[in-house]
Amino acid sequence: MAEGTVPQAKEAGSAPTVYRSEDVPLQCIPPPDELEDTLHGLMKLNGLIIRSLEEIAGRGANAVTYRAGRKYGHEVAKYFRKIEDVEEALKELSYILHGQYTIEIWKPADKDRYIIEENGSTFIYLVFHDCIVRQTLRRNGQPQGGPLCLTLFGYVVGAIEEITGRKAKLEIVHTGPNACLKKLILQ
Amino acid sequence: MIEIRVDENACNGCGLCVKDCPMQVYEMRDTVPVPVRVASCMGCLSCHEICPAQALEHRGVHPSRRHYIDIRVCEMLNRVI
Repeated sequence: MAEGTVPQAKEAGSAPTVYRSEDVPLQCIPPPDELEDTLHGLMKLNGLIIRSLEEIAGRGANAVTYRAGRKYGHEVAKYFRKIEDVEEALKELSYILHGQYTIEIWKPADKDRYIIEENGSTFIYLVFHDCIVRQTLRRNGQPQGGPLCLTLFGYVVGAIEEITGRKAKLEIVHTGPNACLKKLILQ
Repeated sequence: MIEIRVDENACNGCGLCVKDCPMQVYEMRDTVPVPVRVASCMGCLSCHEICPAQALEHRGVHPSRRHYIDIRVCEMLNRVI
């Protein structure tokens, strides 16, 4: 008999009655490639939370999610080595986040350097290729550039601030189905 | 290196790709968009998605991971198709 449901598993006697701490599996069960349903469930849940937050808090939702992301960025990046060079810090961050997000430092064809100085501000363009936020939003039919995107912005800003010790701000330039263009403004 | 091709027979000259591109990659010439600044294309594929005639083709773009496809809907569609 297939042990798909809890009653079926109990009937088959495979569910242990006593669960000791050493019984806790050290690897992902089932294997990650069988977790597609779980992934979709999580994406739906995330989308739902963000939608509800927007309904209740309105534009304040952006501030909440940005703050959460920034705090998390600071928390995570405090264990990393400090780098003054922003370009190098971004490359390091891209390496660390690989698998969740693929970040590329990008420059328009007419620019020589990645760090661009225009109208008194210094900034770097970032292209986000693989992004779980985009996937979640598209999975739920929600527009890009909302509160969930701001969580990620906050995360990147927090991490960069922590690694480089410089204040930063992120701006959405463009959101697309395959990649998004962001501007990291250095202060 | 990204390469963009515009199917001139399919294009209806709406100009949505020209308006949507953040890097001004396209320029409208005789009701047909011409990719004039391909080196500035970052491969977001917004133009690809917005084109009502599906007249654009991109080559050399890094395809992002796509986990958002609804597996249940795809299964149903597969059965129907």
